[in-house]
Amino acid sequence: MLSIKNLHANIEGKEILKGINLEVNAGEVHAIMGPNGSGKSSLASVLAGRENYEVTEGEVWLDGKNLLDMKPEERAREGVFLAFQYPVEIPGVSNINFLKTALSEIRTHRNLPQLSAKEFLKMTREKQELVEFEAKLANRSLNQGFSGGEKKRNEVFQLAMLEPKLSILDETDSGLDIDALRIVSSGINKLRSPENAFVLITHYQRLLEYIVPDFVHVLYNGQIVKSGNKDLALELEEKGYDWLKEQFHGNAALNEQ
Amino acid sequence: MKKLSKSPLYQQLVDAYNQRNSDGNAAQEREQAFTAFVEKGFPSNRDEDWKFTNIAPFLADDYSFELQEPAAAVLENTVQQARIPGLDSYTLVLVNGKINGTLSILPDASCFKLQQLSEVSDVNYFNTYKSEHVGAGNRMLALNTALFNEGYLLEVPASIVWDKPLHVIQLFAGEQNLFIQNRNVLVMGRFSGLEVIESVISLKDGRKLFVNNVTQVKVAEQASLIQYQIQHNQAEDRLIDFLEVVQEKNSRYDHFSFNLPGAELIRNNLEIVLNGSATETHLMGLYLVGDHQLTDNHTAIHHLFPNCDSNEIYKGVLLGKGKAVFNGKVFVERPAQKTNAFQQNNNLLLSDKAQVFAKPQLEIFADDVKCSHGCTVGQFDPESLFYLRSRGIGEDSARKLLVEAFMFDVTQRITNEPVKEYVQSLIYEKMENSFADTNTSVYG
Repeated sequence: MLSIKNLHANIEGKEILKGINLEVNAGEVHAIMGPNGSGKSSLASVLAGRENYEVTEGEVWLDGKNLLDMKPEERAREGVFLAFQYPVEIPGVSNINFLKTALSEIRTHRNLPQLSAKEFLKMTREKQELVEFEAKLANRSLNQGFSGGEKKRNEVFQLAMLEPKLSILDETDSGLDIDALRIVSSGINKLRSPENAFVLITHYQRLLEYIVPDFVHVLYNGQIVKSGNKDLALELEEKGYDWLKEQFHGNAALNEQ
Repeated sequence: MKKLSKSPLYQQLVDAYNQRNSDGNAAQEREQAFTAFVEKGFPSNRDEDWKFTNIAPFLADDYSFELQEPAAAVLENTVQQARIPGLDSYTLVLVNGKINGTLSILPDASCFKLQQLSEVSDVNYFNTYKSEHVGAGNRMLALNTALFNEGYLLEVPASIVWDKPLHVIQLFAGEQNLFIQNRNVLVMGRFSGLEVIESVISLKDGRKLFVNNVTQVKVAEQASLIQYQIQHNQAEDRLIDFLEVVQEKNSRYDHFSFNLPGAELIRNNLEIVLNGSATETHLMGLYLVGDHQLTDNHTAIHHLFPNCDSNEIYKGVLLGKGKAVFNGKVFVERPAQKTNAFQQNNNLLLSDKAQVFAKPQLEIFADDVKCSHGCTVGQFDPESLFYLRSRGIGEDSARKLLVEAFMFDVTQRITNEPVKEYVQSLIYEKMENSFADTNTSVYG
């Protein structure tokens, strides 16, 4: 589904991603872990099309389409969804109007019929139930007055509404207490299917107890330095990242000789 | 002044005044106003209140005072087009300041008293309606005072509340560039209520229209007035509007000013005099300033008595090389204890060539008051824009949502739904046209 080849990206002239390679197939869940500043969130931003990143080298394909040629909204319509680490509050834009507009533009792109007001409300209700998101949405501005946890849960709710192929969750677990984490994870597990894929960006192994990944990758210094199965996350939890950093720098030194 | 006296328009106006008063019996008020204008001429950038609004280029054209009434069919068609879709209202149509009985639709005669201002003698007029602000140094007001001739005088008797809003449509037409100075008077009796929507329309083919209009409003005790001013004009229109509102105790006044593209020049002066205690005042403004337009809103609220509330929100969206000026004065005089005065002005610049000059100005002489003001000038938050786009919302729709959100503080207060929809649809239409032009230059 997603194919990243030798991806390099800069922000303000500084190279952040230094040759990422990653293949994600439908039905898979990939976890990306790594120490602070390793480029995890940058990778998510580049995939979603954030404009302050400049891709200098490499390719990203989504089901045979060149993702890097698309605007952020086109990527979303093609099925990319980024759950934000810090969802934005937009006073004056109502949750409902926002969802309606997004869904309508996505459905137009996918050649699906528009939903009637009734169908839309029914879907909203069902998806809210599915991801156990009880916040009242009507007559409220987008994310305004939502707690940190509610904002994260609103991201998962939007994910459920927009039904993307590829969901990238950027530290959706950060700032959640254990109950919220359980609810968010169970929502995501319900949304998993053989047709879609998830990329979970996280610092902690904790999330992966609830959402079991097929693959775990460690990102360090803008590259994936190690990949493995879910056991790798446990190993990281136990040993930290230092052994990987040492390995990486050792290899780099060898290469220089 | 030497420079000004050379302006052909200045001389034309002096001649017009002398001709008008060849018998030497001019009312004292007109004479004083004329003298004030003659001495100093048109306002210029040297005047503090006109620092950022230079009207000199707009005065340089050849103007005529000759009005010409268009054919009935043209009038009817124009009035039809000026109507607001879905608005069930009475209509007062004025053609070149003259009340047009055929096209006006008014309620039962017991609900109002309507006169042509030219039929009211100067003595009666100045004894009853003399402006609070003559002599306050506003020379455009002085000029109007010296020379105004036409307009309407509408009185709503005590305890009469109109069952429908009134749409006042003013049309101006002539064969040449026109310089117009009208004066309108609206008097709300005690316990009366009315909602007025005002449109000014010029009928001309590429000719210029300069309107120096003055409106005086009196809101008596316990009366309530809502005024919507819709300035949706053509590029060759130059509008200078002076509105003075005097509120008596326990009255309520709501003013909505919608300034849309594309008159070249819009200058609104709003003077609210709170002449009694426990009044309530809401001044709401939305200005969308298009490329090469200048929109200037000067407002002043005078708190003279205790326990009055005033609330002012002006929001501006600027496109292209648009320029906006906002000056919001709030005076709280010593007796005006327990005043609540709130003012907010926010500006959204959608182009790096747009300019805003904003100046909140609070002068408070009472010590037990709650007054606040806030002013911002900014651009779209890129993070909000990205968030919306990352959900599949196209760039234009995302901007539209953000502009809608920006204006929400004001639009949510428009209680008249057809007016709200009309104004919003005009804003989006103007904005979309402009995005088509500026897409690449601003966001490329």
